[in-house]
Amino acid sequence: MAPAPVAVSPLIKFGRYSALLLGIAYGSRHHKSLQKKEDGILARKEQAKAVEEKKKVAAEAGMIYRNAVKV
Amino acid sequence: MAKAAQKLVGLGTRLGTSLATQGPKVAGDALQWSRPRLSKFWYYARVELTPPMPADVPAISKGFSKIVDSAKTGKFMNLTVKEAWVNTLVCAEVAFWFFIGEQIGRRSFVGYNIKSDYEPHGYI
Repeated sequence: MAPAPVAVSPLIKFGRYSALLLGIAYGSRHHKSLQKKEDGILARKEQAKAVEEKKKVAAEAGMIYRNAVKV
Repeated sequence: MAKAAQKLVGLGTRLGTSLATQGPKVAGDALQWSRPRLSKFWYYARVELTPPMPADVPAISKGFSKIVDSAKTGKFMNLTVKEAWVNTLVCAEVAFWFFIGEQIGRRSFVGYNIKSDYEPHGYI
């Protein structure tokens, strides 16, 4: 015959379910904080790229002018 | 191209007819297979896996005070090794529930899936 179900102590049940809820809360909070950090890094990279583009365009414009003057 | 389309249409019609003729039977078989197993699961879960109810609060606080009392008076040193081992396993199980909860919260089994422009290098 299958073993009878065990009457689990309420303290253990309370511990289990509170650990589960705490884990869900911690997991979602940590994920959100990591995603926020990554978004900040991506935004900074975009800005740096935009600055680079502007510098490159300015440098090319300078070169054209210099070549034009030489000619 | 036309031949491939024809084959696809044939496959579709065969899937449709087989679903119509054998779908109910397969579904019935699956239900029959799962019914005793589900009932067995319920038989144990109804007693062992129910979340704590407000009616359990006095028992919970009593359990807590028993543990604190045993720690304060040093009674825990009279536990047998077997009892101590069982208590360790129970604590480990509670910790595992925390990690399962963390997996649920971060919506991934292994690690956190953060959206970024990082491209990991392949190994092949």
